[in-house]
Amino acid sequence: MQSKTRKPLVAWPKQRRLIGKDVQRVDGPEKSTGTAKYSFDINRPGMLHAQILRCPYAHAKIKKIDTSAAEKIPGFAALHMIASEGAELDYAGAEVLAIAADTEEHVQDALRAVRVEYEVLPFLVKEEDALKNPSLKTVSGRDPSNVSKPTLADEGDVDAAYKEADAVVEGEYGVATVCHHCLEPHGLVAEWPKEGSVKLRVWCSVQATRNVAAGLAKEFDLGPTEVECLTDYMGGGYGSKFGPDVQGIACSHLAKKTGRPVKLMLTREAEITTAGNRPSAYGRVKMAGKKDGTITAYEVDCYGTPGATGRATVNFAMLPYVYKDAIPNYRLKHTVILTNCGAARAMRAPGHPQNCLLTDTCLDDLAAKLGLDPMEVRLKNLPKNVPSAVRDYPLSWNAVRETIYRDEIAIAAKLAKWKEKWHPPGEGGKGPIKYGIGMALHTWGGGAAGGDPPLNECTVIISRDGSVTAQSSTQDLGTGQRTVTAMVVAEILGLEPHEVFADIGNSSYGQSTGSGGSTTCPSQAPSALRAAIGARDQLFAKIAKKLGAKPENLAIEPGKVVDTATGKSVPWKKACAMLGMDEVRVKLGWSSVYANEVDDEGKLVTPGVSNLQVGGVQIAEVRVDTETGQVFCDHIVAVQDVGMVVNKLLCESQVAGGVIMAVNYALLEDRIMDRHTGRQVNPDMEFYKLAGIQDIPRITVHMHDMPERGVIGIGEPPTISTAAAISNAIFNAIGVRVSHAPFTPDKVLAALAQKGGKA
Amino acid sequence: MNDQQGHNKNGPGLSRRQFLKGSGVAAAATALGQAPLPSAAAEQASAKGKVPQFGPGKVKIELTVNGKKMTTDIEPRVTLLDALRNHLDVTGCKRVCDRGSCGACTVLLDGAPVYACSLLALEARGKDIQTAESLVDGDQLDAIPKAFVQYDAQQCGFCTPGFAVALRAALNQNPNASPGELEAGLAGNICRCGTYEQMRHAIEALCRQGKGG
Repeated sequence: MQSKTRKPLVAWPKQRRLIGKDVQRVDGPEKSTGTAKYSFDINRPGMLHAQILRCPYAHAKIKKIDTSAAEKIPGFAALHMIASEGAELDYAGAEVLAIAADTEEHVQDALRAVRVEYEVLPFLVKEEDALKNPSLKTVSGRDPSNVSKPTLADEGDVDAAYKEADAVVEGEYGVATVCHHCLEPHGLVAEWPKEGSVKLRVWCSVQATRNVAAGLAKEFDLGPTEVECLTDYMGGGYGSKFGPDVQGIACSHLAKKTGRPVKLMLTREAEITTAGNRPSAYGRVKMAGKKDGTITAYEVDCYGTPGATGRATVNFAMLPYVYKDAIPNYRLKHTVILTNCGAARAMRAPGHPQNCLLTDTCLDDLAAKLGLDPMEVRLKNLPKNVPSAVRDYPLSWNAVRETIYRDEIAIAAKLAKWKEKWHPPGEGGKGPIKYGIGMALHTWGGGAAGGDPPLNECTVIISRDGSVTAQSSTQDLGTGQRTVTAMVVAEILGLEPHEVFADIGNSSYGQSTGSGGSTTCPSQAPSALRAAIGARDQLFAKIAKKLGAKPENLAIEPGKVVDTATGKSVPWKKACAMLGMDEVRVKLGWSSVYANEVDDEGKLVTPGVSNLQVGGVQIAEVRVDTETGQVFCDHIVAVQDVGMVVNKLLCESQVAGGVIMAVNYALLEDRIMDRHTGRQVNPDMEFYKLAGIQDIPRITVHMHDMPERGVIGIGEPPTISTAAAISNAIFNAIGVRVSHAPFTPDKVLAALAQKGGKA
Repeated sequence: MNDQQGHNKNGPGLSRRQFLKGSGVAAAATALGQAPLPSAAAEQASAKGKVPQFGPGKVKIELTVNGKKMTTDIEPRVTLLDALRNHLDVTGCKRVCDRGSCGACTVLLDGAPVYACSLLALEARGKDIQTAESLVDGDQLDAIPKAFVQYDAQQCGFCTPGFAVALRAALNQNPNASPGELEAGLAGNICRCGTYEQMRHAIEALCRQGKGG
């Protein structure tokens, strides 16, 4: 007997002309010739410039602020107080006030003329210093001391597992705090238009236009449509640009006060010290296993600092990470250490690189003690496909996770020639330069955002001249969302991607969520698909009569509308001209609620449109110079599933970009705090090291395309396991573990010294 | 950050950039000693045998940007980058580090690549300034942005114009450069999104085309 089932909302076309192929970025020419206008590039008539005065001390109380001299500086226009006298500031870089003036030079003059008297208070900027003095409190929040009460978890019987194990290893692992370093800094141009329904308009470098508009509406007590946030182009966010922030509010106040547009973009130093970072994680890890490679226990005692306020610096619930469902016994402890530093923000896969470096590295040390190839140990301890998921939700992560990892490990091993190149740790060659190879695994969510009605929408407009516009308030961070929206609509309407105007980044264009968690493509691509199909069908309904056809017989072929009953066709433009004075306009959205909807039998109603959770395998090849300690990373193989690949060219870009960002934090990046002044030593681009093109390994990207699963986000996963793979490759080369990223020459030499300076 | 504080004005907190800006008058005067200036005031001063001075107030200057003569009134301490971006609305050159380490502001000055953040606007007078905007003429893309688009050597795109200009300079200098030599020509540019691998694909294609792309 058949049960009542609901109809699928939408499906990807079976025949795909564009989707899954290499499609060039539609805004590529504008970006590479400098004609694309970013928020930083917006110059409005009569515009003022503004900047923020910041606290130079790691911890201080403001005693007195005297702005009288500043207000006399030529060109001074307005001042906005951010902190008041008596305020306690928790880090060097905390905002005091903002000044607007006619030129940037005059802003600098005016800021220099402000006199602030501070009472300097005790501070701690290093995790280890706080740990040595666990009762000290040097931050203003409610916590009784800088060292928070640890979070604990205990599963199974770790101690019994140690007793029964064939091998137990223990070591130190971790990664330093790194900065987002967005090349376009946080900031905006704010303007209060004299006319029209929009009261406040901002051009803001942000990865959540709606969130900025809502935040500013709240600050100024305006209606939701009275603030408009425009983000046509934005120069990098990586998780740090979700709201108006202090500078957004200050800049809008200055614009209101002066009645003129104001631009306030953070200085490079402020961008690095105040606009977010990925928190550190350092831990003592213990792992136990059997001769056959089965991991029987995992234990970690770790800590890290999210700055003066904040939360866990690892993804605690997901430890021991990829192997969580495979390891029966584990014991976890994580301690948050508050320090007088800028606050952490989400950064490309928050918590995951830390998790990966605290698990997938120790695994190789265990494999070494057991005398096994670590690839075999990984294969032995993969999380199993869950039988109930295989039965009921065959496209879900739990149904395919082991299969995906097995397939990806096999592909990666072949691409890197693992079997030929892997050698027991420390046998990396006779000369001073040792060769090593290492592997690591990762996982990430990347599903659609939620909401019913959906929190993500796309509007497709077909005009009688044949032009097509796809509007959305979503934003393109450089991921290529503008291109994805254009190509999905183009696919359905038989056009080329550049023939669809993807008009995105305007908060007034319907619903969208912030671009975080790799949720944008799986939310917006299906929204565009639904809206395009809706628009196509509305077009058919409106012109069928004039074509002498039935709407249900009409179909799209590249560049034309076809009557399938007669085989006759009309070119696209001619078909659209039949709209007369009418137009087609359809707004539709997508949500995880739709992706998860089940029928009366418990089966998914609309499977394979968007999905959730990916794996990923990376292999690193390095050479380590045992005389200088220098690590040369020569090659990274990245095998990545992402459900359905929408645009292969841009997808590969995302994967290579994630790998490169990770090579940076594996080998170079370190936010160095000075314990004597409480300030960051390297808030710049000279001593805060970022790789140039000559520093980067060869990168082999393989997209493990699984179109049947539907769209999943790609931004975050590829940056997770690279550093652990590099750490393992260094271990493989020299036979000793370098504990903490970045794996700089000093640390490599110190590790070598532990074993008598010999590799 | 506290180099914005008065007490620290001339102390160790003084950044290279602020030193550059603070010494703008002196630097302008030095430049004057080397090259004649179009400004009438300066010529008069030279004629009298005095060292001509500019500022600290605004002075009128003329710059030749992408073949177009542009004039503006700026203080002598204004960098070429800020003059282009803030006063002439030429924004293809981006401000990132603002102290000569990232290359996002790279422009060609009489054909040679320079960091526009590390040069006073006054010193660029009488010279031919080319920004990334010169790499497109209507719909006609220069070979470099064309290759960048084809191989997707760009993500957020904020560093990309600087890379494109630096690469144009390297190819102009040696139209038969090898991929390795072109990579060396980009050693002064930093990308954060991680477009280097795709940029290598673009570079290889440009080398295959030969003859300066």
